[in-house]
Amino acid sequence: MSEPEVGATCSAEDGCITCGDVAVVLTVTSVADADAVCTDEQGRQETVATELVGDVRPGDRLLVHAGVAIERLTAVPTGG
Amino acid sequence: MRFVDEFRDPELAEVLGRQITSLCEPGRHYKIMEVCGGHTHTIYRYGVQDHLPENIELVHGPGCPVCVIPMGRVDDGIAIAERDGVILTCFGDMMRVPGGRGSFLEANARGADIRMVYSPLDALRIARDNPDREVVFYAIGFETTAPSTALTILRAAKEGIENFSVFCSHVTIIPAIKAILDSPDLRLDAFIGPGHVSTVIGCRPYEWIPRDFGMPLVCAGFEPLDLLQSVYMIMKQFSEGRAEVENQYSRVVAYDGNPVALRVLADVFALRPFFEWRGLGSIAHSALQLSPRYAQYDAELRYELPGVRVADPKACQCGEVLKGVLKPWECKVFGTACTPETPIGTCMVSSEGACAAYYNYGQYAKQRLNLEVLR
Ligand code: SF4
Repeated sequence: MSEPEVGATCSAEDGCITCGDVAVVLTVTSVADADAVCTDEQGRQETVATELVGDVRPGDRLLVHAGVAIERLTAVPTGG
Repeated sequence: MRFVDEFRDPELAEVLGRQITSLCEPGRHYKIMEVCGGHTHTIYRYGVQDHLPENIELVHGPGCPVCVIPMGRVDDGIAIAERDGVILTCFGDMMRVPGGRGSFLEANARGADIRMVYSPLDALRIARDNPDREVVFYAIGFETTAPSTALTILRAAKEGIENFSVFCSHVTIIPAIKAILDSPDLRLDAFIGPGHVSTVIGCRPYEWIPRDFGMPLVCAGFEPLDLLQSVYMIMKQFSEGRAEVENQYSRVVAYDGNPVALRVLADVFALRPFFEWRGLGSIAHSALQLSPRYAQYDAELRYELPGVRVADPKACQCGEVLKGVLKPWECKVFGTACTPETPIGTCMVSSEGACAAYYNYGQYAKQRLNLEVLR
């Protein structure tokens, strides 16, 4: 089996994150049509469908569930 | 700084705990239901309950997608997978959910081809790569997950992929909350609303809860401090005599949800008149099926299915656990006949199921809290 994509892991510790209604925050690195290549904090890559959040650009942060961006994050002020 | 650090700050957790305690009315017991299984997981994993005074009780709700799938629909999935040339695909936790004829894993051992995918788009890719096979996606989940399935069907239609269909068991959260509020055996004071479901549906669909039942509901994020802050916001409402829908998770959840996702859902899906929930019984308008426009992608129309209602095992008390009436450890088979390795009921399968979450973390909550949160 190839290296699992980010978020694709199902472990005894965390279970299947999709079943758990968990969504992860990813940052867009490049865009091709309706798909964006995104990375998580560990630098792992995932291709994400972006039709539900409109046009995205590199640097945008998306809330991703089951390979689909379901919302974009509003900027969180740092330091508080 | 990691995104989550500020939501696990030990000092803030203590301060919040103290503020919550100061808002408690002496002698009053508060029952707050967290609707979402993801919250249940966080609560046990980080020992959130240990930061709360004894008279605030967190009650676990029905929001674990695999926990609510009835046995009969697992059997339907197996019947599809046993057909010649079919590849059935599903999310990871679904593989171990027991049906009347065993689980998907057991069906694979008998020769079926059931594959785990992370996204319905992966299932569509398998269909594209295997034009001589029929690929079926076994769709489960609340409104967080339903948009991914909808989008996948739209892409299949756009690309004209014909060897792909969806067996749809998507459910909706509002009717489940209604069913719980109508259930006579439970008295609740407030709700912690599901954060990621609300990303899609927004906060407005909950407004009837404070209006008709006088109960606060706060949509919450998934870090330990998100949950503590939500409890604080609920207690603040009590102390000020308010009952409202509030949004603790505003860094992600817009009050009106995601309008594009809602439009896509309305296009691809239609409400089922009834759907059977494991343990909760049949609930009106509580699940989605493909709308007539996308009927060609509906596995329930494409294949002949047993569609039989299978009664839950006698020993199983998942229904009571899903309604928050019983705590996991109060079930007679908890930890003995029913464990994550050999689940009898669904709540023991997914780590968001209350039984599995308690089994994995419950006894260790205090140490874990000290090690992980208060690090
Ligand atoms: S211990 Fe097992 S059978 Fe009992 S409620 Fe939990 S999952 Fe269901």
